[in-house]
Amino acid sequence: MVDSRRLDLLDPAEVARLGGIEIVAQGVVEGFLAGIHRSPFRGFSVEFTEHRAYQPGDELRYLDWKILARADRLFVKQFEEETNLRAMILLDASRSMAWRGDPARLTKRGYADRLVAALALILLRQRDATGLMTFDEAVRQVIPARVKAGQWTRLVRGLIDTPDGLGTAAETALRQLAGLLARRGLVVLVSDLLLDRGLALTALRYLRHRGHQVIVLHVMDPAELELAGPPEVRFRDPESAASVVVRPRELAGAYAATVRREIAGWRAACRRHGVAYHHIRTDMPFGMALRLLA
Amino acid sequence: MTFLHPLALLGLAAAAIPALLHLLERRTPPEAEFPPLRYLRDAERQSARRLRLRHLLLLILRTALVAVIVLAAARPILPTGVGGGSGGSGGSGGSGASGRGSTAVHAPTALAVVLDNSLSASAVVDGRPVLDRLKALARASLAQAAPGDRLWLVLADGVARAGSREALLASVDGATATPQRLDLVPAVGGAARLVAAEPLPAREVHVLSDLQRTALGAGSVDVPGVAELVLAPPARVPANRGVAAARAGDGGLTIAVSGTPGASAAPLVARVQPPGSAPARAREVGRTLAAPGQSVTLPLPPLAPGWWIGEVLLDADELRGDDRRLFVVRVAAPASVTAEADVGPFLSAALAVLRVARRVVVGGEIAIGERLGAARSIVLPPGDPALLGQVNRALAARGVRWHFGPPGPPGTLASADLAMVRGVQVNRRYRLEGTEGDSGVVASVNGEPWLVRDGGVVLLGSRLDTTWTALPGAPGFVPFVDALANRIARGEAPVAEAVGAPRLQFFTRGADTVGATVFGPDPRESDLTPATPDEVRRAFPGARLLDEAGLAAERFAATRRADVSGLLLGFALLLAAIELAVASMSR
Repeated sequence: MVDSRRLDLLDPAEVARLGGIEIVAQGVVEGFLAGIHRSPFRGFSVEFTEHRAYQPGDELRYLDWKILARADRLFVKQFEEETNLRAMILLDASRSMAWRGDPARLTKRGYADRLVAALALILLRQRDATGLMTFDEAVRQVIPARVKAGQWTRLVRGLIDTPDGLGTAAETALRQLAGLLARRGLVVLVSDLLLDRGLALTALRYLRHRGHQVIVLHVMDPAELELAGPPEVRFRDPESAASVVVRPRELAGAYAATVRREIAGWRAACRRHGVAYHHIRTDMPFGMALRLLA
Repeated sequence: MTFLHPLALLGLAAAAIPALLHLLERRTPPEAEFPPLRYLRDAERQSARRLRLRHLLLLILRTALVAVIVLAAARPILPTGVGGGSGGSGGSGGSGASGRGSTAVHAPTALAVVLDNSLSASAVVDGRPVLDRLKALARASLAQAAPGDRLWLVLADGVARAGSREALLASVDGATATPQRLDLVPAVGGAARLVAAEPLPAREVHVLSDLQRTALGAGSVDVPGVAELVLAPPARVPANRGVAAARAGDGGLTIAVSGTPGASAAPLVARVQPPGSAPARAREVGRTLAAPGQSVTLPLPPLAPGWWIGEVLLDADELRGDDRRLFVVRVAAPASVTAEADVGPFLSAALAVLRVARRVVVGGEIAIGERLGAARSIVLPPGDPALLGQVNRALAARGVRWHFGPPGPPGTLASADLAMVRGVQVNRRYRLEGTEGDSGVVASVNGEPWLVRDGGVVLLGSRLDTTWTALPGAPGFVPFVDALANRIARGEAPVAEAVGAPRLQFFTRGADTVGATVFGPDPRESDLTPATPDEVRRAFPGARLLDEAGLAAERFAATRRADVSGLLLGFALLLAAIELAVASMSR
């Protein structure tokens, strides 16, 4: 029997077979929080309240170095959760997200839905107002950030109700999102990033300019990292219907290098603009993906 | 370049198979969705040049692989350019290495193999008959022959046998040593002229002989355009002795020994076998020692009348075929002779001597005189020319096909049968004229019959008197009269000798044995002394003198070509390995 407290560390496809998004997300979050014994996102979603004397075992990063220098006494800073933080999660619902390289795995969209649900649950438990925007070539669904009861259910319903789209136009959604967030907040973009990198980075840079913290979760199927298949095959892009005939074995090396280069390019561009970037494979346990964000 | 199987070249069309497969393979690839197509295009764009080169290289390699395999199957032949043509200077012991091996072929060649299977080849050297070695070399020469070659085999009988490779190989296998002597120079000359007449690109004569000095004889052979490959004479031959001749005569049994000069004397023994008895009853009649070049005479004991068969045996040595020789002794009952009073004093005296020696007795079997007797007659020309007509009529009446003619000019006697009369002067004679040509002529003067025999009648052209001929004064006169009475008048032939397997052949007339031929090996075969290289070069000025290795290297060398299919297959393997490496390079 699966240990429900540690669903975060199991194979995502196995976990997905246990129930709907809500059940899976709750199970993942329970296991995840039990594993780390503290709020995972303290430090970016809470504000300072008071000092207290240092106790062995406290994290050194919370030592107040100014008091130590002035009074030669050890104090740690205490934080209070901020209840009015607004977090918006942007989910890429384009056609390319509905693909998987192996029927035994979740599609990128299936994986992303469950990850987003888990993340939203964690944020809402911290009393962060959390919203959702799904998009493909246009914005398909917007659920404004709220912290009231029933918000998570609405978010999950929004995920379920968003069908697989066609193309991808992240910059449009990002710009629309900027208009929705009146003050500083957290923006999490979940996408396979098969989009125009220049336009997307421009929109991300704009969000950063507006003072938002931005996290990009780059979801990829393992089959997208290594090229395999029959001796010769015609590959077709599900979004554009463009196709190309290749011999996977003779192009595998060059393809893998290209993918590595693309990932490195995204990582470098995001770092350059102050955007956090995380590469997530759909065979990665949800708990490990969430830990990247902690 | 030529091809052994040119039809296989049609398979070169298969070289297009890789290109066709490449095109066909591209027509219906399976289809699949793949979202990161943009990455794929980037990768393809960056690898396009390398992939194009690799595809082109693979196509070339696979096409070349098929083409090379097809070429190999067609068995391409290339000239190797090894070896000399005809008329080399003849260095001893050539050892051309190139072109050896089972894959070597040659242009159509007219080849004559001269295999010396004379008696001397049966000598055992180093525990093996020389003939076995020569046959192995002959087999090797013929075995390398190709279907387009023209082949002959010349054995010791000098006959050039044409035939297929298989037939001649069978002849070689069946060849045994013969008592005959092979006269190499005419045999090789005939073979060379035979191959020279063939309109083929190459002509060779392989001379495989023990090269006895006695086999070369006189003369030389040099036929332009024919490569003569002569097996070099052996460096060492055994000392040999052989019975060259054994003849029974009035003085006893004369035995001549031949062989390698300088060889020591060896014991020999003579045996005779009574007429009509089994060989087991042969008894020894003499024993002595003799060395090559010597002639010994053994006295024969008194023997009863009849044809005695005898043999002379030498101790066994490396050449066994000449250690035994047969002979015959004819012991006849004395002829009973009646001589007329007018035969003259010389003939009367000779008959008296023969009577004393019991070679003749007085009787009526043979009549000697100017007239025909009742039975056998020896007719002398009448002293009175007027009586010639009477004598001739009597001869004609008896059915004798000879008669006395007019007087003939003087001259000297010649006879193949009667050695004792050869060269004796004849001053006066009558020509003997007949109707049957030279049939029955025993002796002649100036080519004209002087002594003839027809049936039981013997005619002499001269009276046996010193005014007619010097014969009565010659030492051979009494033996002549003996032969005249005991043999010629009786119609008996002398014992003849011939070369052949040791045996006897008797000639009979009615119930009487009138002659015999004794067969034995050619006595020149007993001398195993090899010819020197200079002597060989004198006999065969254009030949190449080679040892066994050199001969193997130089056979068909003038037009030898190499079958390079093995090389091509090796190259195909190399291409396959390169193709495999290139194909798996980016996997």
